[in-house]
Amino acid sequence: MWRWWRSRPLLARGGPGAVTVPRAGLKKYVLPPDYSGITFPERTKLKFMDKVPAVPKVRREPRQLRDIRGPSRQATHFTQGQYGILALGGGYLHWGHFEMIRLTIGRSMDPKNMFAIWRVPAPYKPVTRKSLGHRMGGGKGPIDHYVTAVKSGCLVVEVGGRCEFGEVKPFLTQVARKLPFPAIPVSRDSLQQMQQEEEERRLNNQNPWTFERVITANMLGMRKYLSPYDLHLKGRYWGKFFLKHRV
Amino acid sequence: MAALSGGVPWRRGWLPALQLVRRGSKAVTRHWKAMHFQRQKLMAVTEYLAPRPAVPPHCLAPRKEASQEDNGYARLLQRQVEEVFRDSRMIAVCQYNSMPDEDMVLMRHYLRKHNIEVKFVLNEIVRPVLSQSKYKNLLPLFVARNILLVSPETKAREMLRVLKRVPQVNLLAACIDDTILSRQGVENFAKLPPLEAAQGQTVGALGLLPSQTSSLLQCGSAHLTALLDQHIRQLQAGETGSPAEPAPAQSSGAH
Repeated sequence: MWRWWRSRPLLARGGPGAVTVPRAGLKKYVLPPDYSGITFPERTKLKFMDKVPAVPKVRREPRQLRDIRGPSRQATHFTQGQYGILALGGGYLHWGHFEMIRLTIGRSMDPKNMFAIWRVPAPYKPVTRKSLGHRMGGGKGPIDHYVTAVKSGCLVVEVGGRCEFGEVKPFLTQVARKLPFPAIPVSRDSLQQMQQEEEERRLNNQNPWTFERVITANMLGMRKYLSPYDLHLKGRYWGKFFLKHRV
Repeated sequence: MAALSGGVPWRRGWLPALQLVRRGSKAVTRHWKAMHFQRQKLMAVTEYLAPRPAVPPHCLAPRKEASQEDNGYARLLQRQVEEVFRDSRMIAVCQYNSMPDEDMVLMRHYLRKHNIEVKFVLNEIVRPVLSQSKYKNLLPLFVARNILLVSPETKAREMLRVLKRVPQVNLLAACIDDTILSRQGVENFAKLPPLEAAQGQTVGALGLLPSQTSSLLQCGSAHLTALLDQHIRQLQAGETGSPAEPAPAQSSGAH
């Protein structure tokens, strides 16, 4: 029996038939995170979003691009989940984006231990298109599809449950890359940290000439080149873009 | 017009010549729109300036690694290793290569017959223990995957015999009775007879000379007593018979 040992190749075999040898190992007894306060919604996966609102608008709206300008006032804070996708710019989500988000997250998440909820409404804003090969003029075209306007700083979806950020981050990143605006996955902590950092930067700015000061005092007649919106956007937004390196 | 009949206060009285016209470009676009040149200048002037740190970062000492918090389990393992080192007289450090589990079990079984235990130890557990104990010189051995063969007796020969059949386990060094031996040293040690036999030999060698001396010293007197005994016996025989008895006694006395 002892002679086999030399002839046998070096194979560490494990399996149902193999004998297990007790070995010393090092384990860490860190307390697991506390998931006691989490309430799961009935349906853990994302809800299907309608392509067209149930009561479609008969009116064709103006484009109203201001609905993607500036900071968001809705869905800026977490409600139920712990992790989410944060928009860092304005843009329009159409139904294809909603499906992409729903399918990707539904495929990657573990529905027994995680849940996901929408933080943006279903497409509500009509977008018109003239039909292909149509001559210009002749009034506004018919409604082509519906979109949802998302402003910068808005959470698109929230994910939560008995999971850690490292588990959800890969697929949230995958989703965030495909959105029509810059977006990042955030957790409650990282969002709070981002806001704190922003506040710190605002307070510790060593530049005495801030945008706000220049525009409120109308230094060098700068108001001539600025818009009234800049009074409360303070130079941090330009159109639908969010200039995150500014204070 | 609607503006004339009320409406927004600042629009109430406006000159008809000053018509507000809807024209100009959109303020919000889906692409990046170039800013006005003055506005670009303003943005450049009002950039964020980070506060200068009091001490430049390259002048600071490199940050120390946060010391790992020792947990209870690691301490328990360390205590066990300490006990093993304290209780055993023979500690052999072997390099361990992966091998089938059954062979491992067999090897342990054969070693246990000779009262030798196989201990799997982790280097990060052993090193702090050894660095504070008297086995400090064993530290360079613990660099790769190691196993310890420990025994309360010094059975080096049996251990070598078992290890010879296991090519996956290489003996690196051993510490036998607080003496660190290399592999060659262990082999030499195994060739030695057991301690009792060696002690017996020593005792025998030491006892040989005094016994010789004493035997030499006692030789004359013993011979004399033997001769005298013989003489007495002859005398007793002479009284009964033959007269020619003193000749052998005289020859013995000349001797």
